[in-house]
Amino acid sequence: MSGKFSHDDDSVVVIVGSGAGGGTLAHALAKRGINSVVLEAGKRYRMEDIENDEWEMFKKISWLDERITAGPRQLTETFPNLPAWIVKGVGGSTIHWAGVALRFQPHEFRLHSEAGDIAGANLLDWPISYEELEPYYVQAERHMGVTGESTGMPYHQWNNNFKVLAEGAKRVGYQKLRAGPMAINTQAYDDRPQCMQAGFCMQGCRFGAKWSTMYTDIPRAEASGHCEVRPNAMALQIEHDANGRATGVVYADGEGNLQRQKARVVCVAGNSIESPRLLLNSHSSLFPDGLANSSGQVGRNYMTHATACVFGVMPKPVHMHRGTTFAGIISDEARLDRSRGFVGGYTLEVMSLGVPFFAKFMDPSNGGWGRDITSALDKYDHLSGVWICGEDLPMEDNGITLHDTRKDQYGLPVPIVYKGDHPNDEVLRRHGQAQATKCYEAVGAERTFLVPDFPTSHNVGTNRMSARAADGVVNKWGQTHDIDNLFVSDGSQFTTSGAENPTLTIVALALRQAEHIAERMQRREL
Amino acid sequence: MKPDPRATILSRRRFLTLSGQGALLAGGLALSAGAWLPRWALAEPDLASRLLRMGRDIYPHEAIADRYYLEPLQPLLEEQREMIDAGLAALDRRARATHGRDYVAIEDERERVALLREIEDGEFFQSVRNTLVVGLYDNPELWEPHFGYEGSSWEKGGYLNRGFNDLVIDWL
Ligand SMILES: Cc1cc2nc3c(=O)[nH]c(=O)nc-3n(C[C@H](O)[C@H](O)[C@H](O)COP(=O)(O)OP(=O)(O)OC[C@H]3O[C@@H](n4cnc5c(N)ncnc54)[C@H](O)[C@@H]3O)c2cc1C
Ligand code: SF4
Repeated sequence: MSGKFSHDDDSVVVIVGSGAGGGTLAHALAKRGINSVVLEAGKRYRMEDIENDEWEMFKKISWLDERITAGPRQLTETFPNLPAWIVKGVGGSTIHWAGVALRFQPHEFRLHSEAGDIAGANLLDWPISYEELEPYYVQAERHMGVTGESTGMPYHQWNNNFKVLAEGAKRVGYQKLRAGPMAINTQAYDDRPQCMQAGFCMQGCRFGAKWSTMYTDIPRAEASGHCEVRPNAMALQIEHDANGRATGVVYADGEGNLQRQKARVVCVAGNSIESPRLLLNSHSSLFPDGLANSSGQVGRNYMTHATACVFGVMPKPVHMHRGTTFAGIISDEARLDRSRGFVGGYTLEVMSLGVPFFAKFMDPSNGGWGRDITSALDKYDHLSGVWICGEDLPMEDNGITLHDTRKDQYGLPVPIVYKGDHPNDEVLRRHGQAQATKCYEAVGAERTFLVPDFPTSHNVGTNRMSARAADGVVNKWGQTHDIDNLFVSDGSQFTTSGAENPTLTIVALALRQAEHIAERMQRREL
Repeated sequence: MKPDPRATILSRRRFLTLSGQGALLAGGLALSAGAWLPRWALAEPDLASRLLRMGRDIYPHEAIADRYYLEPLQPLLEEQREMIDAGLAALDRRARATHGRDYVAIEDERERVALLREIEDGEFFQSVRNTLVVGLYDNPELWEPHFGYEGSSWEKGGYLNRGFNDLVIDWL
């Protein structure tokens, strides 16, 4: 049963987005008896909607509203209107995330102090430390069901794809090889079954073995009576009063009618393109540059991780498509060690794609056809693949801006998603490609090849956290420096990207934020 | 009534033995007679053999039957017929200028590929290529027999008991 809150009810927290950040926050608030209305632009899907089919699921759940890819990078040419791979639906990108649930390393919260100024990078320390976040990492791991110490669930058994990569990695001298931590059950946990090794984690888990707010936080928050989720509700503008306090959110409902939901607190969790876009689109005479933008940092410092893939053709069939998509992690290169010629580290993560996506992504450039391509495809079942997830330095000019004239179906300016590499990113990426190639050569690959970036899966940094109001958009609680009752609750808060996938940190921050909001509300400070 | 995919394409293993005997086709392709070709291809065999040649030069898989290349092109032909006709005509003009014959009549694969490389940035080439990259590889009939990809697995209980970790690395 979902609570029904009236549009005029100004006691509710309005949360924009129902993914990793928004879904977690709504549930955590509900557990504390705090009422929220979640506005979610996408539809609600049922378990039966989840198919083991790459293109079908892509078409069904992706955010396909117009966006413009920009910047000196291959995606600008290969995916001019799909800079990022994000879900539009109740559950957000936790429907198709792959479940890798790594914590950031302590030094990654203070990369600026560790590394000093780096020309061209807008580097800043996080205003929180690892130690402050650690208890919330533990909570997040229990909450999501992450294999490892916090839950006691064992790591996954190594699937064929990881066996190959790990064997090569061992021969290269790597030691930190683990099939986890993953937010994918290896035993029944949290009323959800164990992983059936079906593959297709990136199309949604039909069994519910992988954590997703779609079938955990959202329905549980609704069942509590403290949360109402409104699907097909696209937030267009956050409104404020004369004192600059947020008062509510204007949104388009499923019929295209404009609605206004009043709010006591507004939390933005639309992922790192839509969150800053919403703040920018909410400009007013009081805030001509957009809400919470006195620093000028809204939409800036967009980070995507420095990524690439390497595939190897093995002498015998591997069947990489069998089993979890990403359960195999190598952390030896995640350390900070400038002797390698770059700042920051990277994680190597085993990955698989099905034939449809492999064919599309192997080389999407105009020249990516011919026998080079098909000879690899003919050996599809002999392939093993790995993804490089590397620290991507923040740069002020990488970011989200609004197009002057192009409008989307809601009449909002289309976002331009600009990203170029810092020289450090390039060195790191090349290092990762070379190391991954060595791993495959060491395990006897007949051929190895590089596969470029896909549309970005890890989008962070566009409303970054900072100690000082002049350096960023939100403080250590995700509260905007400028507006007390306006929060950012997703990955756009990240001050730096780390060498780890972002979602565990997003969830830990959201759990911590929920606690903070509840305390402040209790003290009538919000 | 769908034909059995295993009957219409060579199995991979069989192909591997055949290709050693020089099974690679060169130059103009004779359409495989009556082999479940789409209606448009039967109605316009000339158009079909030109597009087939092009499709096979872009994504060459000798063991995959013609219809898998031709069927996915139908919507493109319906929507962008003029662009396709103009693109093929321009390709032939290029072919005649450099080789004195139409594109399909050029026997050497490398020469045909070189011609296609010249036009690969154009709309015509990319629309055929982008249609095929989905049309050819998103066809479940080809997945297991040709690529060893098993497709949807949840209804079979995943691979937990069906080989997700059955690999023994015995080649080192
Ligand atoms: C294929 C893939 C694999 C991934 N694997 C991993 C992994 O293994 N580990 C990991 O840590 N991360 C992974 N990620 C990344 C992970 O999915 C994201 O980091 C995470 O989901 C981001 O959370 P979020 O809350 O910022 O946004 P999302 O989860 O994307 O949620 C945002 C939601 O907000 C909605 N929304 C946006 N704008 C509006 C608006 N104006 N009004 C209303 N609603 C709006 C969207 O529709 C969406 O539902 C993966 C991503 C992809 C694409
Ligand atoms: S491999 Fe496991 S987690 Fe991934 S989709 Fe299949 S059952 Fe779910």
